[in-house]
Amino acid sequence: MITANKLNLSWLILMILTLSGMLVGEYAEAGFWITVSVAAVTALKGRLIIDQFMELGQASPLIYRIVKIFGLVVPALMILTYLLGPELAQVTQLPD
Amino acid sequence: MAEPARIPGGKAIWVGIFAELTEFTLMFLVYFFARINHPQAFHEGPQKLSLAAGTANTVIMLTSSYFVARAVLAMRKSRPDITLRWLFAALFTALGYPIIKVLEIRWNLDHGVVGRGDVFQMSYYYLTFNHLVHVSWGLLGMVWIMFRTGFGAYTANNHSGLVAFASYWHATDLIWLMIFPLFYVLP
Repeated sequence: MITANKLNLSWLILMILTLSGMLVGEYAEAGFWITVSVAAVTALKGRLIIDQFMELGQASPLIYRIVKIFGLVVPALMILTYLLGPELAQVTQLPD
Repeated sequence: MAEPARIPGGKAIWVGIFAELTEFTLMFLVYFFARINHPQAFHEGPQKLSLAAGTANTVIMLTSSYFVARAVLAMRKSRPDITLRWLFAALFTALGYPIIKVLEIRWNLDHGVVGRGDVFQMSYYYLTFNHLVHVSWGLLGMVWIMFRTGFGAYTANNHSGLVAFASYWHATDLIWLMIFPLFYVLP
């Protein structure tokens, strides 16, 4: 069961992660580990919303599973397109 | 007999939330399709946007979502008066979102970030305007829930309308958490 203290702590963590994202946006250059870090922070923030604010851990397992998958789509695509961007671009273009 | 699986706020709101998540998943796929085909535009894109505006709206969405979660918690403790106070805080905070958006768009136009710009800028406007529409619906829903709370419509044992709104608002927050790194952070 969620408590006020858990919500307070979740909000604090979300603020810290958001400000860390701002620093990455301001100073970081493109690179594999930066992409992985941004993806991990995005996934973690999403999971905090799903588990703590939405409390979906206590909801229907199907709803919980679908929303958790949604929270992982963007982070996974960040890493996948960084690693395989040119290859995926070739596959997704129409032939001349 | 097994207890039925819990659907927070009822089935109807989850039809809406799943439609919302599906819509944005498709838009995210379009974003990544554009990104892999125009890597230079997406590499340079975040530098052309206001990181301060994106960060401010992330803080606003998260804080408003937190206030709504506290409102639900207060209702469970049979304190509708405290629930209403948290909802006022959530509304007051969330109204900052459209205000920041207007300021951000004015800043964008002054800096040449326009809807007819490159593929990054088009994706940015398409996704963020769509999100703004969803936030606007949420704000209207929040006002309705505040009226209902104020007139004593909810109790500790029966407040599914409040939970339905909270689920929608958190889902809209979750979507913004995906949009923020794609346009403002990821180099």
